[in-house]
This record gives sequence, structure tokens and C-alpha cells, in this order.
Amino acid sequence: MTTADTGIELSERLQWMNRLIEGWSIYKKNLLGKIGIILLVLFALMALCSFIPPLLDPMYQPMAGVDPEISTATGPSTRHWLGTDFMGRDILSQLLTGARIAFMVGVSAAFMSVFLGTAIGMIAGYVGKFMDTLLMRLADMIMVMPALLVLLMLAALFGQLSIWFIVFFIALFRWPGVSRVIRAQTLSLKHRPFIEAAKVAGASNLRIIFRHIMPNVLPLSFLYMTFQVTSAIIIEAALAFLGFGDPGTVSWGMMLQWVWKTGHMFRAPYWLLPPGICISLITLSFYMLGRAMDEVLDPRLRKEGETD
Amino acid sequence: MELWRYISRRLFQIVVIFFVILTVLFLLFRLAPGDPVSRMVDPNLTPEDAALLIQEFGLDQPIWMQYLYYLKNFFTGHFGFSFHYGQPVVQIIGDRLPNTIMLFTTSIILSALVGIFLGKIASWNKGKKMDTSLTLGALVTHTLFLPWLALILIWVFAYKMGWFPITGMISDEVWIDPEIGLWTKGLDILHHMVLPLATLFLIHFGSYLLIMRSSMLDTLKEDYILTGRAKGLPEKVIRNHHAAPNAALPVVTSVGLSLAFSINGGALTETVFTWPGIGRELVFSVSHNDYPLAQASFLLIAIVVLLSNLVVDILYAYLDPRIRY
Amino acid sequence: MALLVVDNLSVGYQGQKGYLQALEGISFSLEAGKSLGFVGESGCGKTTLGMAVMRLMPSNGFIRNGRIIFDGEDLLEKTDEEMRRIRWQKIAMIFQSAMNALNPVHRVCNQIVEAIVTHSPLIDKKEAYEQVRDLFQLVGLPENRIRDYPHQYSGGMKQRAIIAMALACNPQLIIADEPTTALDVIVQDQILDEIKNIQTELNISVIYISHDISIVADVCHHIGVMYAGQLVEYGAREEVFNNPMHPYTRALLSSYPTLTGEKSHLMPIPGEAPNLINPPSGCRFSDRCAEARETCRRNHSVWLELAPTHKVLCHQCGKNCGQ
Repeated sequence: MTTADTGIELSERLQWMNRLIEGWSIYKKNLLGKIGIILLVLFALMALCSFIPPLLDPMYQPMAGVDPEISTATGPSTRHWLGTDFMGRDILSQLLTGARIAFMVGVSAAFMSVFLGTAIGMIAGYVGKFMDTLLMRLADMIMVMPALLVLLMLAALFGQLSIWFIVFFIALFRWPGVSRVIRAQTLSLKHRPFIEAAKVAGASNLRIIFRHIMPNVLPLSFLYMTFQVTSAIIIEAALAFLGFGDPGTVSWGMMLQWVWKTGHMFRAPYWLLPPGICISLITLSFYMLGRAMDEVLDPRLRKEGETD
Repeated sequence: MELWRYISRRLFQIVVIFFVILTVLFLLFRLAPGDPVSRMVDPNLTPEDAALLIQEFGLDQPIWMQYLYYLKNFFTGHFGFSFHYGQPVVQIIGDRLPNTIMLFTTSIILSALVGIFLGKIASWNKGKKMDTSLTLGALVTHTLFLPWLALILIWVFAYKMGWFPITGMISDEVWIDPEIGLWTKGLDILHHMVLPLATLFLIHFGSYLLIMRSSMLDTLKEDYILTGRAKGLPEKVIRNHHAAPNAALPVVTSVGLSLAFSINGGALTETVFTWPGIGRELVFSVSHNDYPLAQASFLLIAIVVLLSNLVVDILYAYLDPRIRY
Repeated sequence: MALLVVDNLSVGYQGQKGYLQALEGISFSLEAGKSLGFVGESGCGKTTLGMAVMRLMPSNGFIRNGRIIFDGEDLLEKTDEEMRRIRWQKIAMIFQSAMNALNPVHRVCNQIVEAIVTHSPLIDKKEAYEQVRDLFQLVGLPENRIRDYPHQYSGGMKQRAIIAMALACNPQLIIADEPTTALDVIVQDQILDEIKNIQTELNISVIYISHDISIVADVCHHIGVMYAGQLVEYGAREEVFNNPMHPYTRALLSSYPTLTGEKSHLMPIPGEAPNLINPPSGCRFSDRCAEARETCRRNHSVWLELAPTHKVLCHQCGKNCGQ
């Protein structure tokens, strides 16, 4: 590691920490952000608690639970706090499992798409020319396609899709949005003095991209992750709703599919309402989180008078 | 003129993208597990009929020949026969297309216009109750899960209140009767369209509202707004005539960018409401392994999305003179 | 009687950090048909002055004190509606061409027609359009560009269009805020000539705001030098330019190169302008002034009349500085 590198690294790291601290103090003041975080913590708790009911009694298994006494849809009771579905399975444990699946799908797909999008965006922005045009044309093409419908076609061709296949493809469809933003950021960073310094010190392109540009675009990537999580959750839920989800996973979308397909939507509000409310609320909370973070990252969005 | 050059460039891009999609689909159909022939030819056909079809689609030829057959068939409208309906696919999707266009276009135009209008109002009243309630409303409706919202609307307004029909686009009794005039039949469609339209509208107008609101707040800081005030223009004129047209431009861009998302929503809405459009046909054909129909539906949807993108681009160019001249 | 009399005007902005006193105790008068230039560095309040006269303050701006008497009436007593009618019709403004002063989505002619029609509602649109053509001729813009959009104009053309628009309602007073700042020198010269011609031909009063004293001296009958929200020297152009009294004016003049005369070193003014949220109690220029004394720092400056038309806000002048 050259001296230029170390010097740059140290100052960058300090800058990073400063920004993190400053960011948190701004974030704290935002009401939406606070509500968002509270809701997300609640959902996370739900996800964690999903393991509890089956341990209490096997009849609480979300997929395979068989209640010896109930085998139809029933309303909330002391045994089943949210009632049972058409096969007598406990709705609450399905709901809790759904939270776990939502986080899993959302975070994995978001992480993958942001990873891809950041890498591609940085490369396109930094290397430029042919590579840039090629990658951005590819991004344009992918952005035009409706992810849900393409996944449907894939379901038609490849049969039942597994949950990881779904996650992977969602990421494949969502990276273009991220890459555009990262590319723009990279373009503006490309000509900054510290990059010039690294070039003069002899750093290779790859090194510059990953050592110097990446730390500066990561906050933006992180911000976009929140938006990506919501779209991933929605796509998976819609897919499951239509009946093309992974039949082995109980997601909220899957629950809605069951209510709908078994004709219970008019007579079982205890079954119809919770999954939909959960999907909508988790989307809302990630969105609020994202907006609050947006304010942290973009000084122009802060309330007037808070600047100094 | 600049505008024509711009349009032709976009048209060319769209054609290229469509060809890529066409080719990728072709490859997918051939590469997916299972016998590609069974994808085009209904396994239930007699061997003679099957042989005829195979010849027509060149399914026994080498792959590059098949590709040429594929392209030729696409441009002559030969999409095969639907396994499920037994009719030529092109006829089916031809029937469905107008229904989708009707619902989809109306919903986008309505949500964009209302979103712009309410966003404008929200920005005027920034910080006050009107603004907070509009913003909150937009935030909440726009994060609702579309199929769920659809089910709730059906449950409340169709099932419980009985104000609207639960499914479909038309009431058979109305349409079969030759005595009933076109006007009444049209009203019947509208009656069926209310709930699906409401669903699509509620989900989409929120994001346009939020964008318009922040765009207006930015625009009101521009120098030409100061000029307007200096000219002694009434505040209303400044907002509506000077600020709003500029502020609406990012919303138009946003409509274009979210077209893919909107069409997903369209397909979901059609499915829940059993609205006979291409989106629903796609879902239906996939669940019934009706490959020719699925393929054609998908391609048609792709065309719809691409052309919508073009329309939005042209609209933007028309609205922003900096692009036109 | 003077067309415009500003009496002891104080204006400020309410910010997060406190109340910023942008203008304090500004007094001057302007006769009909004459031009007055305000010169000063960025932040001295000259733009605020222009905005205040037209009562175009932003929502966090306040006119605290004083009177602005235009054509015999105090503008500060006017209602919003009355003010709206006065704007452009009686007092118009010329903005910098670099600013986005023209709306990008409307044609230039329509924006000028709008100004005309707003203040003469009975006028026919066709007639208003004819007036626009006359205006274009007046400012030297080609007629075939009337229906263009602002982005199709060059900087100089935009400036002319802005001037044409300001003249549309035949105002009595025009406030020109840095109209030539973003233009190259040749175009700058043309525009200045344009403004001078218009002023003499149409007998319009002009308030010219600039950071460039040489331009102001070229165009204006009277010059007001501003510093840190205060008017520090005021007089006829010859008086101020040839016999500057206030140390700041002198420093300002010596920081400009001249084409004629001896070559001398350019003297920048050391230090920074004071913080206007907590302005110093004494003379605001004292910490940058070469001739400052204790009295300067402690006491408020007072006006010293050196000649009937030449006054200076300084403790020292008249006694020690100059002659």
C-alpha cells in the first residue's frame, strides 16, 4: 500500500465516521423516519417470533399444522388469535412466518440488486466510453420490462419457481435503477482531486474504483436498498398472489392467494385483512425509512434553517 | 425539425429493444426444460394435425431456420392456436387488447391529472392541514398492496353495498339483448370499470402527487417566478400559468419511468376483477400451460409498454420547448 | 418634486441564526428622468434595496422602518392589490440575463404580452402583440425572433428582451439589478448604451444596481456607495468619482484599473464585511479602514454634508481625509 493510499484512506475513514454521526442526528429529528423504524422493529420482532408457535404445539405449523378439532376457516379465538384458514391452520403463525419471508426476500433481493447495480454503475461511470454505453443500453432495456410479467413467463417455462430463483430474478430486474444513480455519482467523483492523486500514485483502475470511489457511493447505495426492499417484497407478494410463488413458503402474498382462491374473501375478514395490512405497512415503513435517509444524504432536502 | 429526429431515434430504439425481447423469448422457449415442440403444438392434437402445425412453424428445422420462421410468423400474425380456447391466438389477443387499452390508458391519465392537480394544491398549502392530509393520503394509498386493495374494494362496494358488479367487463344480459342501445351498453361497461379503475387510480396517483408537490416547491423558487411577481401578476396566475407547467414536467418523466410498474398493476387488476384484457389472459394462459397464448400475450404487452414509453416521450418533448427546438 | 424619496429605510431577514439587518437607515431621493446608481460589494444590501422598493421581499424579509414615497404616496402603506397594480406599470425591474428571469416554457412574446395585458385589461391581444414588435425594434432585437423561446436566445438577446419587457407598460421608474454582469464586455457596452438611450429618449428614471463602479459612473447622474447595509457616500457622479471622500469609496476606486494615467498598484481591501446579524455599534467599515480611530469604532457614524449634493457617512471626513 502506497503512502498516498494510506493517507487518503485515513482521511476518508474519518470523513465517513463524521458523516455517520452527523447523519444520525439529522435522522433522529425526522418524524417519518422514527415511525418507520418503530414499525420495522415490530415486523422484525414478528419475524423472530415466527419460530415460537410451532414450538409450542405442532398444530401451529403454518403449512402443515393440523388442529385436531378445527378443519375449516374459523374466526379469532383463544386457541387461534387470528383464527384459522380453510384447512384449519393457524393464521397468526402464518402471518409471523410471512414477516420472516418478507424480510428474507426483501433484504436478499435488495442486497443483490444494489450490489450488482453499484458495481455496474461504478464501472460504467468510471471506465466510460463503450463499456458505459453498452451497460446503460442494457439497463434501459431491462428497465422497460415489467418484472412481474417476465417472472410469469419464466414460471410458465420452468414450472414452479423456488423462492431463491424468485429473489435472484427480482435482483436481476432491479439493478438498472440503482446503477443509473451510482453511475451519475461516479461521474461527478471521477474528476475530484483525491482520485487524481490516487491515479498519480499509480493505483490501478480496479483499485481506484473499489478503494476510493466505492466508499463515497455506498451511502447512496444504502439509501436505494430501502426502496429496493419494498419493490422486492411487492413483486414476490404479487407473484405468490397469482399462484406462482414458491409453494413451500408461506408468504403474505400466498396467504392472500388462499383467501381469494378458496372463495373466503367475503366471509373471512380476519383472514383477508392481516396479510394485506402487513404488506402495505411494511412497504410504508421502508418508504418512510428511505425518505428520512434521503434527507440525511441530500442536504437540500433538509428543512430550511437547519443548515450551517 | 428536431422533434421528428427525436421521435425517429426513439422509435428506432424501441424497435431494437423489441427485437431483443423477441429473440430472448425465442431462445427461452427453446432452452427451457421439456420438449419445445409441445410448446407450440397442443399435445392433445391428432398426429396429422400436429404434423401440419409442425410444418407451418418449422419446428423440425434447425434452430436458425426456426428463428426465421418465428420472425416471419410474428409479422404475419401467426401465433398458433390456443390450447385452451382452440382458436387462433391472434384472434383472442386482438379481442382483449382494446379492453386493456381502455382500462390502462384511462387509469394512467386520470391518476396523472389528479396527482398533478392535488400535488399543486398541496404545495400551495405547504405545512397546513390540507397539505399534511394530502401528503399522508398519498403516502398511504401508494403503499397499499394492489391485489389486496382490489379485494377490499370488491368486498365493500360490490359485495356488501351491491353498488358495482363483482367481476367482468359487461353484464351478459345487457349485451345479448339486441334491443338495448349502444349508449346503454357503453354505460354498462363504465359501470363495470369503476372499481378496477378506482383500484389502479388509488395506487398510482399518490406518487404523482408527491412528485408534483416537491417539484412545485422547487419551481416556486425559480427566478422567473420572481419576474412574474415583479410584473404584478396575481398569485393564481403565477402558480397555474408559470409554475405548474414547469413543475409538471418531472411528473411526466415519472409516468414514463413507472410504466413497467403500472402494467404489472394493470395485469393484477384485470386478474382480480376478471376484466378480459391481455394482462389477465397472460396470467390465465400461464396457469393453464397454454404456451402459444402466453407467448403472444407477453409480446403484445411488451409492445404496449414500449409504445406507451414512446407516447410519454413524445408528450414530454411537446411540453418542454427546450427539447422541441 | 422628486419621483422617489426613500426615508430612513431599514430592512432585514429573519433567519435560523437570528435577524439579519440587511439595510439600515437608507435615505435618498430621485428626480424624474434622472438615474441613480448603487454600488457595493456582494452582501452590501443593494439588491435588497431594489426588492424593497418594489416590495418583493421574500416571506422571511421584513421592512422594519422608514418610508418609500413614490409619486407622492408611501408604498409601504399600500395594500397587496394596490402594490400589484403599481408593479411594472409604474415601477419595473430589469434582472440579470444569467438568471432564469424568463419562463422557459412560454414564448418570449407571450411573456411580454402578458405584462401588457395584465395592466391594460381592455387591450386587444393583437394590439399588445404590435406593441411587442415596437419594443423589439426599440431594443434592437430582430423581429423574426419574437416567437422564440428563451433558451434560443443568447445572453445579450435575453438581456434586451428583459429590457423590452420592463418597458412594456411605460413605467416611470426602472430598477436595473446588475443587468450586464453576466455578459461579455462588448455586449455589456451595447446594453449600457441601450439603457442610456432609453433613459434619455423616454425620460424614465433609473436606479442602477451594480458592484462595478465604473459602469455606474458611466450611466448614472448620481452615485450611492453602499457598505454593510448602509449608504456610506452619496453624490453626483463627478463628485463621487473625482473626489471620493469615504475611505471605502476610495478603496473601491483604487481597486479598479484605469486605461489612462499612471500605472499604479491595484489595492484590494483587506478583511471581510461585518456580520450583519450582530453589526458593530460603531462605523461598520472601521475594522477595514486605514484611517480608523477610536471614535469610529465606538460611535455611530453621522452624515457629513460636504457639498449640497455630496454627503458622506464618516467621522473622519471633512476633518482629516482628502482636502
